[in-house]
Amino acid sequence: MDIRFSGVTKIFHPDITALEDIYLEIPKGEFVYLVGPTGSGKTTLLRCITREVSPTRGQITVGSFSLRKISRVDLSYFRRDIGIVFQDFCLLPHLTVFENVAFVLEVVGAPPREVKERTGEVLDQVGLWYRRAWYPPQLSGGEQQRVAVARAIVGTPAILIADEPTGNLDLHMAEEILNLLISINEFGTTVIMATHNQHLVDTYRQRVVAIHTGRVARDEKLGRYELDGRP
Amino acid sequence: MGGLKYAFRDSMRLVFRHWGLSMLTIFTAVAVFYLIGASILLVMNTRHVVNALEGELSIQAYLAEDTSPDAVAPAVTMLPNITKVSVITKDDALKSLQERMTGMSGILTLLGDNPLPASLEVWVDRAENVPEAAKRLSAIEGIVDVVYAGGLAEKLAKFSNFAGHFSIAFLLVAITASSVVLFNTIRIAVYSKEEEIGIMLMVGATPTFVALPFVIQGMLLGCAGSFGASVLLWFSYNSIIDRLRELLPFLPFLEKGALVMKLGVILVGAGATVSLIASFIAVEAYTRRAIKPL
Repeated sequence: MDIRFSGVTKIFHPDITALEDIYLEIPKGEFVYLVGPTGSGKTTLLRCITREVSPTRGQITVGSFSLRKISRVDLSYFRRDIGIVFQDFCLLPHLTVFENVAFVLEVVGAPPREVKERTGEVLDQVGLWYRRAWYPPQLSGGEQQRVAVARAIVGTPAILIADEPTGNLDLHMAEEILNLLISINEFGTTVIMATHNQHLVDTYRQRVVAIHTGRVARDEKLGRYELDGRP
Repeated sequence: MGGLKYAFRDSMRLVFRHWGLSMLTIFTAVAVFYLIGASILLVMNTRHVVNALEGELSIQAYLAEDTSPDAVAPAVTMLPNITKVSVITKDDALKSLQERMTGMSGILTLLGDNPLPASLEVWVDRAENVPEAAKRLSAIEGIVDVVYAGGLAEKLAKFSNFAGHFSIAFLLVAITASSVVLFNTIRIAVYSKEEEIGIMLMVGATPTFVALPFVIQGMLLGCAGSFGASVLLWFSYNSIIDRLRELLPFLPFLEKGALVMKLGVILVGAGATVSLIASFIAVEAYTRRAIKPL
């Protein structure tokens, strides 16, 4: 699924311009770092892709979906193709690790056998099968984020969006999560990751899109975190 | 199938997670549907009694103390639409009362001399001619009082109409009250799962799928309440009707059993429908807002 932003502007009430005239193309299977200072518009851009935010002007198309005109039911089917990893994990504390991951398949009506098998596979992939009966508060930050990644990929999405997934983790755990995302990308999933982690961006070089005051300030094929001393 | 299983499991969790509210909702529904059922039974019984009494063709004409029934009877026979006239003397009246009050003869001794008046039992050809015949009988000298079932029927019909109108108004108020309680219970359940719903919508659950556990929860509570009301109605109607039959054996009340059973089914159906609508509105409004982009 290709992602295309055409002249996207988002103005929040009363007069806060979060994004301004964004033109951006992310082909299927690409890995993109989204960098920029806090409040530059990275999260708004990601939320435009998931259609939590609707642009004031411009068009966003993801695959065959035009997000401006999408119906409520189509939106549900569209979101099944997108996995999301949040900085604060957003796990349900009263569900076990297994249930948190299986939940995604259950709510889209997958058959119980498929839920069980696929959840097991993904927990194996993120190395947390042995923690399947634990509850999120019993896990470390890195483990919770790995559960969040497992939950994001269990539905085999075409696009994985990660909003500062390493923000609450130490460097070792951050690298572990990034390696997980890279391995998922190698299987053909588009990964868009907003981050402030300079070490990761500079070590694991990928395409870098820098956002400043709501505009695309830089778009490099194999970029670095900073250019001329600013992200 | 997996989705439906998930929805049922989740709705049961919701019922028990908010058990206090669930109980409150069920008790409200029991009270509301019991009162609705009771008022329906009252109206149905009154109408049944009215219909039965309206079909009564006899008029009781009570005579003055010094009037002989045989003196008045020929004049009565001459009236139009009269088919038969029977004379009931003072002695016949007392004998009839004694027969009806067997086992309570002690009370009759308190009466002293026979105080019962003589009367004529007058039969009219058709029910609609009864009021006119009663009016003509009242005009005959020597007749002091005229009693006919139709008179009671008229009064009961007025009461029945009033009760019918009152029942409809009451039904609307009661259903609204029950819906509001149910609506709020579901709303609280929805807000308690706000985070979960947010994640569900983000991972591609359809709004219908999100709404389903709450709608099932609402229906479970509504059905439990209306079922409870039906059971209560069954027992209370049976005991009230038995008591009324002892006190007013001449009035034809509706048979218990099948009637209350049918009413119970209707009440449970109504409970399910009302709760379905109320819970659907509660959750639909929320998901519509939650899915709307900023």
